[in-house]
Amino acid sequence: MKKRVMISIAMLALAITAIPVGAQAKLKVWFAISGDSGEAFKALLEKYKAANPDVALDYSYSGNYADTATKVSAALMSNTAPDVALMAAGPLYTGARNDYFIETKLNDADFNKDDIYPGVWDYAKYNGRICAVPYGISTPVLYYNKAILAKAGLDLKNPPKTWAELLTLAKAAQAKGNVSGSPDFWGFDVTDVAWLFKTMLYQNDNSVISVKGTKISPAFNDDKAVEVATFWKKLIDERIMPVGQHSNAEKKFLSGNLAFLVATSARIARWSKDSTLQIGAIPMPYFKRPSVALGGNVLVILSTDQKTREAAWRLVKFLASKENQTTFALKTGYLPIRKSGLSLPEAKEAVTSNQMYSVAFDQLDTAWSYWHFEQMGTMDQLLAQALDALERNVLSPKAALDKAANELQAEING
Amino acid sequence: MSKHLRPRYPFTTIFLFFSAALMIFPFVWMLLSAFKTPADVYNYPPKWIPSSFKFTNFAEVFKKIPFVRFYANSICLSVVETVLQIWISAMGAFAFAKLDFPLKKKLFAFMQSSLFVPEIVTVIPLFLLAAVAGLVDTYAGLIVAELNCAFTTLLLFSFFQTIPNELVDAAKVDGCGYFRVFLKIVLPNSKTAIGTASLFAFLTHWRSYMWPLIITNNVKMRTLPIGLKYLVTETNSEYQVLMAASLMAIVPVLVVYMFMEKEFVQSITLTGLKT
Repeated sequence: MKKRVMISIAMLALAITAIPVGAQAKLKVWFAISGDSGEAFKALLEKYKAANPDVALDYSYSGNYADTATKVSAALMSNTAPDVALMAAGPLYTGARNDYFIETKLNDADFNKDDIYPGVWDYAKYNGRICAVPYGISTPVLYYNKAILAKAGLDLKNPPKTWAELLTLAKAAQAKGNVSGSPDFWGFDVTDVAWLFKTMLYQNDNSVISVKGTKISPAFNDDKAVEVATFWKKLIDERIMPVGQHSNAEKKFLSGNLAFLVATSARIARWSKDSTLQIGAIPMPYFKRPSVALGGNVLVILSTDQKTREAAWRLVKFLASKENQTTFALKTGYLPIRKSGLSLPEAKEAVTSNQMYSVAFDQLDTAWSYWHFEQMGTMDQLLAQALDALERNVLSPKAALDKAANELQAEING
Repeated sequence: MSKHLRPRYPFTTIFLFFSAALMIFPFVWMLLSAFKTPADVYNYPPKWIPSSFKFTNFAEVFKKIPFVRFYANSICLSVVETVLQIWISAMGAFAFAKLDFPLKKKLFAFMQSSLFVPEIVTVIPLFLLAAVAGLVDTYAGLIVAELNCAFTTLLLFSFFQTIPNELVDAAKVDGCGYFRVFLKIVLPNSKTAIGTASLFAFLTHWRSYMWPLIITNNVKMRTLPIGLKYLVTETNSEYQVLMAASLMAIVPVLVVYMFMEKEFVQSITLTGLKT
C-alpha cells in the first residue's frame, strides 16, 4: 500500500513538472491601420510570432481611428479590450483612466527611451505623463510641383525660410507657371487646415493650449495667433490659396494645378512610387522659429492583468525597436521615431535616393505636440470652422478665433 | 419627329431625365473607376474614361483581402437576418393589427419610439449585453443584435390593418387558431408588403458596418462593408481597387432587385418610401 502511495505521489510530481513553466502567453492586438500600412504592421506581428513561439498572438484590424475608438470604448467597459492597440488618441484610453503602466517601463535598458525624439514623446502624454508609445508618426510637409517651378523660372536652391518669402514665391509660380493652362490654377493650398494652423501658431511663439496644473484652456486666440490668422487671410486675399476647397487640394496638386501643397509626410512613400509625379519637398517655412506639429497613432497597453501586461510590453518593445519601427516607417510613409533609426542602411538609402525623406526626417528635430486631452478632436473641428469663416469673410481673424476658443472652453467646462 | 415619339410632357420628361442621370452618376463613376490606373483616379479635373482599362484591379481585390469569405458572410448573414426579422416583424404586426391585449397602445408607442434612437447610441450597451452573453465573435452575436424589427413591423402593421377583420373572423369560425389565421390568411394576402419589407431589411443588413465591426475581431467572421474598409488607409487609398471591390459588392443587391422589381415599385406606392 505504502509503495502504491509513493508511486502515485511520484507520478503526480512528474505530471506537475511536465506542465511547461512558461505556459503560452496570449496577446490580443487591435490596429487601426489598413491597406499597405496594415499589412506592414501585420508582417511585424508575424515576425514576433515566429521569434516567440511561446506567445499566441491574436490580431485584427479594428476599423479606422474613429471606429477603433468606439470599439475600444465598448471593449473596455465589458472587459474584452485587447491587450495592445495601435490607435489614435491612445492616451485617452490609458492615462485618462489613470493607467500609466508604460511610464514605469520606460527605463528598461533594452528600450532606450532617449533615442526617441523628445517632441514625439509629448504625443504620448496625458496630464504630462507618458502613457503610450508613439508609433506611426507624421508631420506636415511642404511639397512643390517641379514642372510648375521650372516653367516659372524659379529654382529652390535657396528655399524660402519664412512664410512671407513663400507667399512671394507662390505668387510668382502662380503667375508664370501654369503648365496645364487651367483657369483653376493656384499657388498654395493645404489638405488639413487645423494641422497647419497649429504648426504656424507654434512657429509664432504661440501655444495651442495652455496648461495650468491639470486644467487645460485654449490659447489659440492670443495676439500672436491673430497674427497667424491674419497671414492666413492674406493668402486668400492675394488669391494665392482658394477659399474653402482644401479637400480638393491634393487632387489639384497631383494634376499639376497647384504649385505648393502642405500635406502629411505619410504621402512620401506613395508619391515616390509613382514615376509620373514630378514632386519635391522643402523645409516648412516659419514665422519666428522652425517647427512642425505631430500627428499619427500610438501603441497602448490596455490589459489589466500584470502578467499579460509584461508580455504586452515585450511586444511593444519589439515593435518600437530601431529596426522594426524604421522598417514600418519606410514601408508605410510614417516617420522613424528613433534617432538611431536614421543610421540604418535602409533609412540612409531612403534619404539619399529621395530628397523628400531627407526634408521630413530633418523636421523631426523641431517636431512638437501638445498633450492629449478629451476635447482635442473638437478643437480641430472648431479651428477648421474658424479658418473657413475667416476665408469666407464671415468673421474677422480675431472674432473667428475668439468664437472657436469660447466654444472649446465651454466644451471643456462641460 | 413623328407625333407618337413626341413626349407629352416635355418639361417633366427633361426633369426626369436629369434626375435619373443624377442618380446613375455615382454608379457610372464607380464602374469606370474600377478600371482606372492610379494616375487616372487622381487626375484633376477628373478623367471620365480610363486611359487604359485595367482589369487587374479586380484580381488585386482578391490578393489584398479574403473577399470570398467576406462575401459569403455578408450573403449568409443578410439572408438569415432578413428571414428572421421579417418573421418576427410579421408576427408582431399581426398581433398589433388584429389582436387585443393589455398595454397594446403603450407597447406600440414604445416600439415606434425606438426608431428615433440613432444606432451609434445603442452600440455600446448592446455590446455589453453581447459580451455578457458570450456572443462576441459569433454568428449569433452578429445576427441577434441586427434584428431591428421596429420599422418592418410598422410597415407590415399598416398593411395588415387593411386586411378585413371579417376575413379573420370567418377563418376563426372555420376553426382556425390565431397562428393558422396568421399563416393561412394574413401572410398569403400580404406578399407585396412582405416583399417590400424584405427588401428594406436585406439592404439594411447588406450595408451594415458598425455592429459587425464592433462584435467581431476574427477576420473570418467579418462582412463585406468591413472588408471594403481594409482597402482604405489614412495614408494610401487605392480607390481603383476599392471601386472594383464595390462593383462586385453591389451584385447581390442587383440580383435581389431583379427578382423583386415588382415589389420594389409597389413599395413606393405602398409606403411612399424608396429603399
